[in-house]
Amino acid sequence: MMLRNFAREIRFLSKDRGALFWLALSFILSVIAVSFGVTEVREQRETIANLIEEDAADRANALEGQEDWGSAAYYAFHFTYAPPSDFAFAAMGQRDSTPWKHRVRMLALEAQIHEADTRNADFGLVGRFDFAFLAASVVPLLLILLLYDLRASERSASRHDFLVATAGSSLSLWFPRALVRVAGLALLLLVPLWVASLIAGASGMVTLQATGIVVGALAVWWLIVELVSRIKASPSVLLTSLIGLWLALAIVVPALSKAVIETNNPIPDGGEILLLQRETVNDAWDLPKEATMKPFIETHPEWREYAEIEEGFEWKWYYAFQQVGDQKAAPLVEQYREARLRRDRQAGIAALLSPTSFVERAFEKLAGTDAVSMIAYEDEVRDFHAELRAFHYPLMFPEKDYDSGLLAELPLYKPES
Amino acid sequence: MTAITRIAREEWRLWLRSKTVVAAALIVVALLTATSVLTVHRIASEQSQRLEQQVAAEQTFFAQPDRHPHRMVHYGHYAFRPPPPLAMFEPGVDAVTGQSIFLEGHRQNTAMFADTKAAADLGGFAALTPAGLYQLLLPLLLIVLGHALFLRERESGTLAVMLAQGQSGVKLALGKATALLVVIAIFMIPLIAVAAYSVSLGESALAAFSLVGGYFAYLCIWGAIVLTASVILKQRAVSLGVLIFIWLFAALIVPRFAINASSVAIDAPGKIESDLVMLAEQRKLGDGHNAADPAFQRLQDQVLKQYDVETIEELPINWRGVVASYSEAELTELLNDYTEKRMGLEASQSRMFEWFGLASPTISVSSLSRALAGTDLATHHRFLRESEVLRFDFVQSLNQAHAEKLDYTTDINRNNDAASAQRARINSASWQVLDEFRFAPDSASKRLGRTALSLGILIMWLLLACVIVLLTARRVRV
Repeated sequence: MMLRNFAREIRFLSKDRGALFWLALSFILSVIAVSFGVTEVREQRETIANLIEEDAADRANALEGQEDWGSAAYYAFHFTYAPPSDFAFAAMGQRDSTPWKHRVRMLALEAQIHEADTRNADFGLVGRFDFAFLAASVVPLLLILLLYDLRASERSASRHDFLVATAGSSLSLWFPRALVRVAGLALLLLVPLWVASLIAGASGMVTLQATGIVVGALAVWWLIVELVSRIKASPSVLLTSLIGLWLALAIVVPALSKAVIETNNPIPDGGEILLLQRETVNDAWDLPKEATMKPFIETHPEWREYAEIEEGFEWKWYYAFQQVGDQKAAPLVEQYREARLRRDRQAGIAALLSPTSFVERAFEKLAGTDAVSMIAYEDEVRDFHAELRAFHYPLMFPEKDYDSGLLAELPLYKPES
Repeated sequence: MTAITRIAREEWRLWLRSKTVVAAALIVVALLTATSVLTVHRIASEQSQRLEQQVAAEQTFFAQPDRHPHRMVHYGHYAFRPPPPLAMFEPGVDAVTGQSIFLEGHRQNTAMFADTKAAADLGGFAALTPAGLYQLLLPLLLIVLGHALFLRERESGTLAVMLAQGQSGVKLALGKATALLVVIAIFMIPLIAVAAYSVSLGESALAAFSLVGGYFAYLCIWGAIVLTASVILKQRAVSLGVLIFIWLFAALIVPRFAINASSVAIDAPGKIESDLVMLAEQRKLGDGHNAADPAFQRLQDQVLKQYDVETIEELPINWRGVVASYSEAELTELLNDYTEKRMGLEASQSRMFEWFGLASPTISVSSLSRALAGTDLATHHRFLRESEVLRFDFVQSLNQAHAEKLDYTTDINRNNDAASAQRARINSASWQVLDEFRFAPDSASKRLGRTALSLGILIMWLLLACVIVLLTARRVRV
């Protein structure tokens, strides 16, 4: 019985030109979204591969002819980066507005890590047409257009009551009709995503989760449409109300939550970090050497016996005040980082109120392009910078003889993911 | 009362009686008011904050004690970009780019601490601005109001009566258009208020009211599209569905599609990438810190000859300062070369994006609005250029002081002991070389000039839409 219902509905659907149009459109949009995504990820990977090579060549060049540890550290830059994940094609997320590549050296990190080598600002402002955007914002509208007049059109054709009476139960009539459409929409959206996942080599688990998110979101919007279209009103009033609901859930709720979250969680002015760091580093030149070496030894007691600075300029003193500059700024940096994480956590909760925000965030999380991932990358840069220091201090402080061969052991940045 | 105004009045009467229409209009008004008030406040506080920061940065620089001049080169300075008055309507790219930049010797830094980096991420629409509401929401309101403008007469059978009475389809359409125009005019009031306020804050009236004109044209385009649909299509629901699809396409899909397309079509390298290419070249120029670099041999010969002396010790000026100044100039030229190339590529990406206005008036109006408000990519690029000039000027003035006010022998012996270090300093009065920096947007006519393409496309859209309305209205049959 149920099967017959479905067979009948598929036959009906194949004659419903309007519905076929929306379905075809969602397929085309999905193909476009994932193709752009796959291309972009490929480009970013190429850029990274290129930069790794150029960076190594530049460093080798810079290290050539150096005669002491201090200059070697001063002139050698190191490329750090967060490669796009295998699923990043589906959600570029924060990668357009937050930097994912740096070149750092052993100077104070706070003067370097906030550099923003991001792309054309228009990209970050307008945003990309990626799968996450399609699934989060556009698909609900397509679903609304596909479903809103299932009942109402029969009602305006005066067949509604008759149909319900013949079908026996309202469920066996409307449910297969809507289900065929929703399932069609889901399938047409997801097939390009699955193919792209295969091409990009995304893990099956991630693709499965993404599928779950899309299906879940469709189910939520279906429920909304279903509830609204039970109201006995003309199709155009129904559609207007549904569009109104979409606006509320996709625009108003996110905008409101964002405003509230950001007001309640003020973030330290980033400029202050830089300023504090710069003042500390620059003041050090004029201060007695002990003023630098004392706080340095507090965090690096192992170099206590080498902390006596006798000359007017010594590299170890120079790098010590760079380190102290970072140490001074550390509490502010931590506040900045914490505030970002706190805002993101609250945004995660607020997103429960908006299916659009939820889908977008969920995709970014799967793709490793959310705020947490970007902050994790910054943490990796910090760790790497600490490694650089850990490499140089044992050479610099005991004033070991310069041996360029040892520089082959320089730490190399390796992204965790 | 003419037939046209009578038709328009009748339309308004019906709208005011419809709960859906009134509710939709009230919601839009509430959103518009709330967003405008919030944005005006935010921009005002940012503006005064950045100005204060700029002044503070200058005063700290001036207040630095006697020092070795090269120390001040690395001490550096900050440039801030306060938002222009119209940013309270259209904040534009400012949120994405960061609005402060650290300036120091031998390096061109990027603008840092963009708002988006620390923003609560709630998806693409969460960053609501008044301009965004005009671009996205008002067309939707026009659709809700107008999708059945003409259709209704057809549905209720009054169309046949009116045509039989000798009213032409065009007259009827003009009446409906008038009704819609009044709606548009009413919704322009908040924008006009913001524009007037911005003029009172020193914005040029030309820019502010061109902005008003641009949005008016944009909404008229939508009005005409809506009217056309209601003339051609025979069912309300179909008309509404088609219009919403057009909106979905023009306002949501095409702009993002255009971003992807221009990113794929034109490859603009990032800063690190272009820097690395440049660094290889830079190495050929020698290092500004090391005056013994062989690359400076030629310079040395030339300077020695110029002063007619044998050794650099005999020079009346400090050789190290000369080297610093020479290599800063060389390096800057090189840096600027690459930066200009990079900015040029970014500008052509944005240009290509603008051409997509042919497929979506939303793109045209948003480009126009950013350009007029002084919050577009071109303004950001100008900020980078001007802050670079500021950087180069103060660094070179310090290098000049290095060459002229500090003796060479004292300079090279500065690390011998504390007293030598003390001697190798120059008077802090030399720090006054720093120029005052107040970033201001381009002149109104220049900004207007930048909108030529978008404005042209927008006007084309408007004409096309009006012609189509008239053509379809002329052919109206029952």
